[in-house]
Amino acid sequence: MTSSVREKLLVYLLLSVVLIIFMTPIYLILVSSLKPAALMFSKPPAFIFTPTLDNYYDLFTMRPFHLQILNSLIVALGSTAFSLTVGTLAAYAISRIKSRWINDVAFWILSMRMFPPIAVVVPYYIIFQSLGLLDTPLALIIVYSTFNIPLTVWLMKGFFDEVPEALEEAAQVDGHGVFATFLYVTLPLTAPGLAVSAVFCFIFSWNEFLFALMLTGSKAQTVTVAVMSFWSSDAVQWGRIMAGSLVVLVPGVIFVLTCQRWLVKGLTMGSVKG
Amino acid sequence: MSSVTLRNVVKRYGQVEVVHGIDLAVEEGEFVVLLGPSGCGKTTTLRMVAGLEDISGGELEIAGRRVNDVQPKDRQIAMVFQNYALYPHMTVRQNMEFALKPQRLSATEAEGRIGEAARILGLEPLLARKPSQLSGGQRQRVAMARAMVRTPKVFLFDEPLSNLDAKLRTQVRVEIAKLHKRLGTTILYVTHDQIEAMTLADKIVIMKDGRIEQIGSPEEVFSLPRNLFVASFIGSPAMNLMPGVVAASGGGAALTCGSLQIPAPNALSRVLKTAQQVTIGVRPSDIRLVSSDAATTSYDASIEVVEYLGTEALLNLSAGGQALVAQVPASDRPTAGQQNVRIAFDPDRLHIFDTQSGQAIRPGDCGHVESIGGRHGTRDRLHREAQV
Repeated sequence: MTSSVREKLLVYLLLSVVLIIFMTPIYLILVSSLKPAALMFSKPPAFIFTPTLDNYYDLFTMRPFHLQILNSLIVALGSTAFSLTVGTLAAYAISRIKSRWINDVAFWILSMRMFPPIAVVVPYYIIFQSLGLLDTPLALIIVYSTFNIPLTVWLMKGFFDEVPEALEEAAQVDGHGVFATFLYVTLPLTAPGLAVSAVFCFIFSWNEFLFALMLTGSKAQTVTVAVMSFWSSDAVQWGRIMAGSLVVLVPGVIFVLTCQRWLVKGLTMGSVKG
Repeated sequence: MSSVTLRNVVKRYGQVEVVHGIDLAVEEGEFVVLLGPSGCGKTTTLRMVAGLEDISGGELEIAGRRVNDVQPKDRQIAMVFQNYALYPHMTVRQNMEFALKPQRLSATEAEGRIGEAARILGLEPLLARKPSQLSGGQRQRVAMARAMVRTPKVFLFDEPLSNLDAKLRTQVRVEIAKLHKRLGTTILYVTHDQIEAMTLADKIVIMKDGRIEQIGSPEEVFSLPRNLFVASFIGSPAMNLMPGVVAASGGGAALTCGSLQIPAPNALSRVLKTAQQVTIGVRPSDIRLVSSDAATTSYDASIEVVEYLGTEALLNLSAGGQALVAQVPASDRPTAGQQNVRIAFDPDRLHIFDTQSGQAIRPGDCGHVESIGGRHGTRDRLHREAQV
């Protein structure tokens, strides 16, 4: 066996181990969601059984799960879009303004991220109650953005720092204003940063549970809370929880795969000298 | 009407003044080169003209209009940057299109301009490529094409050749000269390379520490350097500078330099004062090798090193305790075993500077040459280039 073949085998072996570690929970969720309730905790575990879609059927008939997915999508996409817009503009300003106090502003923004979320649950509840925003997607969009904006600002600042200012100067000399320069020159060059920020914002908003539980009731309930509602004091409906979890995975995976195109493009752009 | 006029232009960063009141008039169609060592303020000056740096004091006019507070986008200029500054996510064509966009031209006219620029600079086969797929020289040509399509009032070049290798530099230099000849647009060009300045410029502005030391045609700054800095900065190999003293003034004025007795230039005999401390400058190319029985005043020199350069040779000599470099035709260079030569130079080709002030001493002491600077065109540029 030549050394290159041996190397390849080793790489594949390691990748397989990693893949097994990451995929086992997903496999268990998938299998459990297809099991009839009676076989859920059978000993020894049933590996061969007739799969059933009952859990999925119940998910969408017993609860308005499709509406809850829609709520989650509105909240996650809304917060992502808002955070990217505000965060990117703020990051650009922080990256370009040369002043002593701008670093203090940047650290103040970062400090938002360090705040323990649970400490602000009650104040948020009272504020949204007085504003009449309880149980609305807007409340969650606002709350999630307070966590997503600092992340976006710090990620994007790094990417803006990398864009040579000479390019912006060239655009200005070419007759473009500040906004056109930002939109057509600087922003396209930070596309990988935008993709990374979008992925982080979306995943955080999609997976968030605490605020969603506290600030929503029936109308604006998101999927994370909906899945947990199958866990009641009477019984834990594992099959439905598993089916819900699997459905919840899908939009996140689609979103990340969509952004991945830009992530890969960013990597190759950086690797070409000049 | 001047194309670009700077009047007492000052640049300060906080308390630190880096450009100290510059006055410069660039005529329509003129090729002006700002030349100086790094840190002399030449790039800062260019960036002030471009509008990329604020002007702390003074007046700046482009095409007769005061532009101190005008945005770069409204100054009707185009700039070629040191690192090209091509938009990496756009193709060559898109780079040019983007530069044209603010002018809101019709599609046919824009296409026409892009086509013409691409043809002139040989970029037609590269229009669909991105900057990362181009060589250094090609990128430089794209940067020039992008500036060209805008048909600006003034072209600004910020050390455009410094990132290219020596061979490519010569090629692109000729391209720039041709481009200027063809378009006739005013060019303000920054470089620290005197060869670029000498070959390209109609007028050279030599700067040091944020001040203009001399303005003049390449011939003027070379043959009539106004002060010691210009004398030592222009010319390669550099001018030989020797400390001396005026031994006798009036008719038959003479200078003493170490153990050398040198006749003073005739034209200066009236202005030199006895015992005046002077610095004597002689260009290496003005030193001749003569036979020992020659009629002219000549001096013994011992040979330290001979550098053979193909068509010519540089002789590192020691004469009367002074180190000198002589530039002679390679065929005249001393043979391998030769220890001594006899050298001579025409007294009228000497440059005499007052050591204390560093200023050149001129007949009648009217040594201000910046007023002479004028348009010389591109007529013998290629000839000059061949010489340098």
